[in-house]
Amino acid sequence: MIVCVAVVGHQNNPLYIQSFTEADDALKLHHIVHCSLDVVDERVNNPKKSGPLLNETFLGLLYPIENFKVYGYLTNTKVKFILVTTDLDVKDADVRNFFRRFHAAYVDAVSNPFHVPGKKITSRTFAERVSTIVKSFGLTSAV
Amino acid sequence: MVREVSESCLDSLLTEVVSCYCNRFYPNKHDLAARRIEAIGYQVGHQLSERYTMERPRFNDHLEAIKFICKDFWLELFKKHVDNLRTNHRGTFVLQDNKFCWLARMSIDPFADSGKSPEDITSPTAGNKATHAMKMHLYFSCGILRGFLSNLGILCAVSADILTLPTCAYFSLSHTYTEITL
Repeated sequence: MIVCVAVVGHQNNPLYIQSFTEADDALKLHHIVHCSLDVVDERVNNPKKSGPLLNETFLGLLYPIENFKVYGYLTNTKVKFILVTTDLDVKDADVRNFFRRFHAAYVDAVSNPFHVPGKKITSRTFAERVSTIVKSFGLTSAV
Repeated sequence: MVREVSESCLDSLLTEVVSCYCNRFYPNKHDLAARRIEAIGYQVGHQLSERYTMERPRFNDHLEAIKFICKDFWLELFKKHVDNLRTNHRGTFVLQDNKFCWLARMSIDPFADSGKSPEDITSPTAGNKATHAMKMHLYFSCGILRGFLSNLGILCAVSADILTLPTCAYFSLSHTYTEITL
């Protein structure tokens, strides 16, 4: 089950953080997302030779913490997407699919002429699309 | 849901934007009008960069980003590639388009007075005013390029020049403070 998704700008400023649990642990999730930014920077600057391709947008599993898993995705414009989930058997293809749809929703939200680059995303349409994507995560069978 | 607009609408809009900013909003202050038009282009380029770099992996260096502009980005915007790309390997790139679509329908109007002989059309003042008017139309596309590059992290200045109508060239200079040239 996805616990939290976050969009972080290229100066590590938060653009969108949304948690999907009823529990009141927003602060802990913020902290997890914040820690994962360091891991993203490390992955990008010190590529492992045997790891994923140097320039791929999907960074894969960043690190496990407590009972959460954190996945990262870095776009061409240095915007980072962070996904925190409690699922134990997450398929790689599912996460890639999730990030692809999330990226499409993000691009549409940023193309809004009233959106100021660098400020938080306040579009309700974006929030609805994200919750739709989150709800359908893992439900569609991987083809 | 994809909604489309005809190209002639966009052409007319851009012509009207230039005319509005030069004649109505900032009459006699063409530099200011140019900066405002370029700023509009900057925001458009910023947003377009998100959309068009979505599918591909990250760029390795500036040259790859410029090559992407010359091929894919120009193809998306103008349905053709950039015709010529030159660089001095020190951060300056020149992109040349031999038939720039937003200038393709413009002509230099020779003076209407019947008394003028054809040689007068090439007099310096007539040519200057015409090219100056046409250069105003290039500021929007300069802004698009600058916005696109700056969203990829490449800070630069973009300027444009008209060689012979409708050929135009864009000069992009990178200001990277930690660059070491060999």
